[in-house]
Amino acid sequence: MPKVEMANATDVVLKVENLKKFFPVRKGVFSRAKSFLHAVDDISFEIKRGEVLALVGESGCGKTTTGKTLVKLYEPTGGKIKFLDRDVTDLRSDVDKKWFHSKSQMIFQDPFESLNPRKTIFDIVSEPMNIQNKGNLKYREEKTMEILKRVGISPPNAFLWRYPHELSGGQRQRVAIARALVMNPEFVVADEPTSMLDVSIRTQVMKLMMDLISDMNMSFLYITHDFAVARYMSDYISVMYLGKMVEYGKTEEIIQNPLHPYTKALISSVPVPDPEFKRKSIQIKGGIGKAIDPLPRCRFYDRCLLAMDICAKKEPPLLDVGSGHKVACFLYDKKEK
Amino acid sequence: MKPILEVENLKMYYSTKLGYVKAVDGISFVLNEGESLGLVGESGCGKTTTSMAIMRLLAENAEILSGHIYFKGKDLLKLNNEEMNKVRWAGISMIFQAAMNSLNPVYKVGDQIIEAIITHEPNVTFEEARERVVNLYKLVGLDPKRIDNYPHEYSGGMKQRAIIAMSLSCNPDMIIADEPTTALDVIVQDMILKEMSRIQKKLNMSMIYISHDIAVIAEVAEKIGIMYAGKLVELSDSVTIFKRPAHPYTIGLMSSFPSVKGEKKELVTIPGEPPNLLNAPDSCRFAPRCPFATKECLEKEPPYEEIEPNHFIACFHPQNLRKQVNEYAKG
Repeated sequence: MPKVEMANATDVVLKVENLKKFFPVRKGVFSRAKSFLHAVDDISFEIKRGEVLALVGESGCGKTTTGKTLVKLYEPTGGKIKFLDRDVTDLRSDVDKKWFHSKSQMIFQDPFESLNPRKTIFDIVSEPMNIQNKGNLKYREEKTMEILKRVGISPPNAFLWRYPHELSGGQRQRVAIARALVMNPEFVVADEPTSMLDVSIRTQVMKLMMDLISDMNMSFLYITHDFAVARYMSDYISVMYLGKMVEYGKTEEIIQNPLHPYTKALISSVPVPDPEFKRKSIQIKGGIGKAIDPLPRCRFYDRCLLAMDICAKKEPPLLDVGSGHKVACFLYDKKEK
Repeated sequence: MKPILEVENLKMYYSTKLGYVKAVDGISFVLNEGESLGLVGESGCGKTTTSMAIMRLLAENAEILSGHIYFKGKDLLKLNNEEMNKVRWAGISMIFQAAMNSLNPVYKVGDQIIEAIITHEPNVTFEEARERVVNLYKLVGLDPKRIDNYPHEYSGGMKQRAIIAMSLSCNPDMIIADEPTTALDVIVQDMILKEMSRIQKKLNMSMIYISHDIAVIAEVAEKIGIMYAGKLVELSDSVTIFKRPAHPYTIGLMSSFPSVKGEKKELVTIPGEPPNLLNAPDSCRFAPRCPFATKECLEKEPPYEEIEPNHFIACFHPQNLRKQVNEYAKG
């Protein structure tokens, strides 16, 4: 694996090394798992303080699994997760777990499913403080009002005792954001937080998140399938394909100058809101499959129009092709060419 | 160009215990032969209800209060059920939202299309229908060998293609496609949109595309109608809508949409949320969110007028707006 270069160690909030998450594929209820779905297969990256990394890819590429593994909703199969210079791959004691979960949070895709319908807005937003035993009731109420106001639910005292079904989709997602941020986390995973929202509401929520990220100086992993949204939300983009990270770089660099054939095809397929623009999409073959016991070769081999012999023999490593732009493709590997 | 579909002042309300939900409130538009129209709007703006009214597939509590829907000169609202059944599928067919999940999992995909053909054209034999399905599969880019597969053996994109084949099976003059690509990944979406435009041009068919995504509509529609809260607020050819939008809501939509092409522009947000349509007032429905609203907008309903040839808009201040709007869009 290529070494991720070390920046100022205190600046790095999250460092992921060779992260793997496999799911067993069982044929019957009682049979032993003989094969494994490689949902996340050996990926490494780091996120610095105040930085937003967008994880982009098609459905089934492992982006949500990566996010869930990073906030420890899944236990990783292999690799290391370092958070604030501590190894959090295996958290055994309750004290450690509480510490970790107070500093890392997740915002889910569908605000219609992620909020408990039987709880009031106050219960939902103050629950993290309950679990963490933070402050007394008065403090929790004040803190809840403060964060609700910050996410644009105003006046907050009019909403405290309402239930999720009384809120619109945009308001619900704001509540979900408030719940994630009430403990001032250092690291937040947001899994397609705007994909269920309407266009005019989506921009509001995107802007709110951008403001919050810079105000609270958080590190963000923003999971999305939409390059246009990623362009506005992130500092860096990482493109995933069947559990592998195929390209990584600064956001504008990836948008303007994608290198991997898959990234090129993806970006060229995004519809452009301009009827006079004649978009030329780059064709690829077939559809996305599943990485069940994949062969040791490029995962994109079957669909790539530029595939060479070497692509069927080895897995391409993620290599730096200059100024931090990394790509996992033999076309850019000078040694192999 | 000959008009194929004319919707005139269509009003369709849902009656509920609490009053009327004004889902479609007085919309008018004309679709010509061989033309593609995109209806854009947020959820609950009435775009799906409009298409359901055209197909006369409305819920029991839906009431059409006024208006006409002329299809090839015939008012669809005056037909009885039997006559309407002849228009459905053979005259106008529809691709429903999430239609790819509507394939019956225990029947072969080909058989489901054959069933649709034989139901609507009883004179066609099974062999003829099967032959037609083979041709349709070729037309939409599916391998005819897949006719005898079950839906679970198809990928999402293939199911969507099969649904398009089914909608074409009785040679309709017009197709309504309600969010045809919303559940698909970008690469597949791109292929399906290209396929649909190609077929539409090849068969010189009229199309209505319904979507919340203006980028998708920009790629497939020649004419665009913007809907907001049960009203059609602006309608023109797609270039006018994108280059010279006049309604403040359209302008807001255009500048709040991120794109991967061109310069990275600052996104403009539209404040507030769409209104509740239950007993909605007879004033401009966008006025509470509109930065240019005046007293007049909050009291009266703006008329839907042609401000220049083929450019319709429902707003009191379209002319003097343009300058302000340009400044607003610039920030």
